Amino acid sequence: MNLLFGQILNGIATGMLYALMGLGLSLITGVLNIPNFAHGALFAVGAYLLATVSGYLGNFWLGLLIAPFGIALLGLAIEYLGVRRLYAAGHDYQLLFTFGLALILSEGIILVWGPVGFSHLPPPILRGGVDLGFTFYPKYRLFVMAAAGLLVVLTYLFLEKTKYGAIMRAGIENKEMVSLLGIDIHKLFTVAFALGAYLAGIAGALTAPIRGLSPGMGVDMLGIAFVVVALGGLGNLLGAIAAGILIGVAQAVVAAYWIEASTAVIFAVMALVLLVRPQGLFGIR
Amino acid sequence: MKNPLLLVLISIVLLPLAVRPAIASEIWIFAIFGLGLNLLLGYTGLLSFGQGTFFGSAAYVAGWLLKYYGINVFLALGVGMGVGALSALAVGYLCVQRSGLYFIMLTFALNQLFYFVAYQWTSVTGGEDGMPGVPRPAMLGIDFSSPLVYYAFVSAIFLLSLLLMKRIVESPLGKILVAIRENEVRAGAVGFHVPRFKLLAFVIGGAFSGLAGVLYAMLFGIVPLESISFVTSGNVVFATLIGGSGSLYGPIIGSVVFIWLSESMSNVWARWPLLLGVAFVIVVLFFRGGVVEAWDRLFSRRKISPSRSAH
Amino acid sequence: MSKLSRRDVLKAGAAAATLGFPAIIRAQSKEIVILGLWDQTGAFADVGPLNDRGMRMALEERGMKILGQPIKYITRDGATQAGTSTRRAEEAIDGEGAKFMIGPWSSGVALAVSEVAKRKKVVHLFSGGTEDISGARCHRYSFQWAASPYTAAKTVVDNFMKANPKAKRWHLLVADYAFGWSVEKYVKEVGKAHGLEFVGADRHPLGEREFSNYVQKAAANKPDAVAMINFGGDAVAGAREIFNFGLTPKVPLIMCWSSGVEELVQLAPEIRENLWVGTNFYYTADTPAAKAFVKAYRAKYSIAPGYAPSAAYSMTRMLLAGFDKAKSAEVPDVVKALEGLDMNDIVGPMHVDAATHQTLRPYFMLRCKPKSAMKDELDLADVIATGNTPLPKEYGACKDIGSL
Repeated sequence: MNLLFGQILNGIATGMLYALMGLGLSLITGVLNIPNFAHGALFAVGAYLLATVSGYLGNFWLGLLIAPFGIALLGLAIEYLGVRRLYAAGHDYQLLFTFGLALILSEGIILVWGPVGFSHLPPPILRGGVDLGFTFYPKYRLFVMAAAGLLVVLTYLFLEKTKYGAIMRAGIENKEMVSLLGIDIHKLFTVAFALGAYLAGIAGALTAPIRGLSPGMGVDMLGIAFVVVALGGLGNLLGAIAAGILIGVAQAVVAAYWIEASTAVIFAVMALVLLVRPQGLFGIR
Repeated sequence: MKNPLLLVLISIVLLPLAVRPAIASEIWIFAIFGLGLNLLLGYTGLLSFGQGTFFGSAAYVAGWLLKYYGINVFLALGVGMGVGALSALAVGYLCVQRSGLYFIMLTFALNQLFYFVAYQWTSVTGGEDGMPGVPRPAMLGIDFSSPLVYYAFVSAIFLLSLLLMKRIVESPLGKILVAIRENEVRAGAVGFHVPRFKLLAFVIGGAFSGLAGVLYAMLFGIVPLESISFVTSGNVVFATLIGGSGSLYGPIIGSVVFIWLSESMSNVWARWPLLLGVAFVIVVLFFRGGVVEAWDRLFSRRKISPSRSAH
Repeated sequence: MSKLSRRDVLKAGAAAATLGFPAIIRAQSKEIVILGLWDQTGAFADVGPLNDRGMRMALEERGMKILGQPIKYITRDGATQAGTSTRRAEEAIDGEGAKFMIGPWSSGVALAVSEVAKRKKVVHLFSGGTEDISGARCHRYSFQWAASPYTAAKTVVDNFMKANPKAKRWHLLVADYAFGWSVEKYVKEVGKAHGLEFVGADRHPLGEREFSNYVQKAAANKPDAVAMINFGGDAVAGAREIFNFGLTPKVPLIMCWSSGVEELVQLAPEIRENLWVGTNFYYTADTPAAKAFVKAYRAKYSIAPGYAPSAAYSMTRMLLAGFDKAKSAEVPDVVKALEGLDMNDIVGPMHVDAATHQTLRPYFMLRCKPKSAMKDELDLADVIATGNTPLPKEYGACKDIGSL
């Protein structure tokens, strides 16, 4: 039983990260209606930026603060310089573009940081673990759970409770109406992409001390992000959060009994759900 | 172009003079793969980002039979097409219900499912290590193990595939698929059962992909895990888009460009995928129609009317 | 499509032809082309450059010449993938005329490359934990430099149990490919003789970095010892998580087939507290060849060599010894010379078994030192024992190594 609780705890921790990724991707695909295949690469660059900035400044917290904004800026640039011209281009070209970006980013990582993976340890106060009774758990992972959870809540509050968040949600529902109401739809798109990139960046930054850094670290995350979005319903932000946590927990619980299948299970669950409910668990469209 | 088929024939003859037979074979194999994808992408307007599923599944099953049951080469091809078609039926059934981004994401995610199953089912697929030792058994006195002989074989299959695909797209079926691409609702209103036709396109595309998969396995004597990964799925999409999805021959040009570049660049600069990424970005921003359209623009005096509407 | 003029076709053809030329057009040279299939990307991206160092050092010892002929050393990045590696190997063989290849590092990929060696009839040396190259998939062209996984398992398990006789409950964490499977098989086999109970054995993908689930499962089984059968970055990440989740240092951790120095330096001293390491080479090995090699390597790279560069170094020297013994650079002669070769190299006395192409040689067992006992930052461990028990005949799956 202890093992199960321990795994569920793991699942919530990874699930929070999946939720962050899914939330960012759902925002981008929902508002801009493009398949962002660079989302995993943004995650990876976020992790590398954290390692570099923290290493340079000698302070993990500053790195955690700064690095995701770097990714947000990157997202801003990507949207403004490239994605912006592709709204009418058709999904195949949007896909080609974002995938090309992903290649540029991941090869760029190798050019800047080398092909060899390395580790980045958590800050000293977060090293070691605590005895939770049913399991001995690393402090850093508890921090990630809390931090990611906080971010998810903050993002949700922004989207639900602020005016700009409402505009964004309206943009997901009906772009024409939003622009007819006099809102600059281009600015909306840019902000949405930047916010989505920020979420990917901070997910990567939080992950760096857990998984270490390697150039291909974004690839698996990309697939999982898509599953989260497909399960949560495209553009359904609350759905993405719920789906992310659900998948994280499902993966961890399966790992307790059949560890080799734990990753495949994510996709199997998605296939099963979509067979029964094509709009995803929470989607309405 | 007066006679593109003639150009293809000339290329088939000339190619082994320019590159090793193995690379030349790979180019035509990838072209078959691209033809299958383009039935979905260019003609039906379905961006399937999971063709690797069918390519890889066919390669594994046929590879297994070739290796352990000593089936002959033609039976292997048949098995490949069958497995490709069947897996496409399964995946297609799940996917044709959805459209737009959902469809793309679904094909991608299902590809991942197949990938991870192949990864874990190590007793059959070899998992990470792949399935080496796939033979090219001689048949009817033909020794397929010689690279040039195999190239001739691959070229023949490619030509047949091209002619078959030409027939399909010029047939009423092809017209219906184009109609679905242009306006799905109208096509449905006119009386065509759209999901069924989409599924049919999937199955045919899957069969072509499976054929390519088996030829690939026999070419390299191994079914690597990558053959069922999304990287393979992505590569065929990119090659097709670069060649130009608006024409029957686009995927062929795309395959030539893509495979040739990959093979020659990878020894020159290890980071060459970065250039590939840059190429994608440039193609999207400036050369939407791919090589085919660029060629037209550069060499034609007449104004080209778009062969497909924006979607 | 617009009209295509004949000029356009010719133009395109000329441009295309300049992009590549097949080997038949290249001039034949007197060089001996040796291929190092070393990964620069993928899961073993960090190992490839180390391998290259070792191989280069061995070739430069001979002034890049053998039998009076110049050696051309080429490398190819296999990307730690079976597909890419076999293709690049074939390209090097067909395009560059390589007749001798060493590598790659991954056992699974090596099995695929071994098939290429068989098909193309080139000499192939490899160091890795799969038993198949000298077992079920043996053939005349491939040679296994590393100790048999049986030898490794016996050395590790026997010596660990000598020091920890009461640690009977073991949990295994295994990399899920050829190398992991072989070593796991023999650890279990040898463990039987010690009355070990394997309370768990989980397999993880090569390149895994998220070990939380695996470690929790290990902890839940309350083992007396955790044994990892993985390598490089996987081993480092696994060891760290096992420490983070509080298993070690209370519970001893065994790295059954490790790179030695290269992994250990990445782990903080507290993680190494109760760490036992099995490896194909450790830099404090007490042989004249090892001393000379380590000294030269340290002078050049400011760090002691681990298993990866040492294996490449020794394999290259073995190949060169084969040339010397055969007095010829023809593949069949070198193969026959390697069969039954005796050599005293960095690990000690080595003998290549002609029937299986398995090298019989010592395997090292180390115990890591606590920080207080370290004389300098590279004084990471002591060699507590070596073992060279060969694979018993009844386990050998190589019944007929075949003909050239």
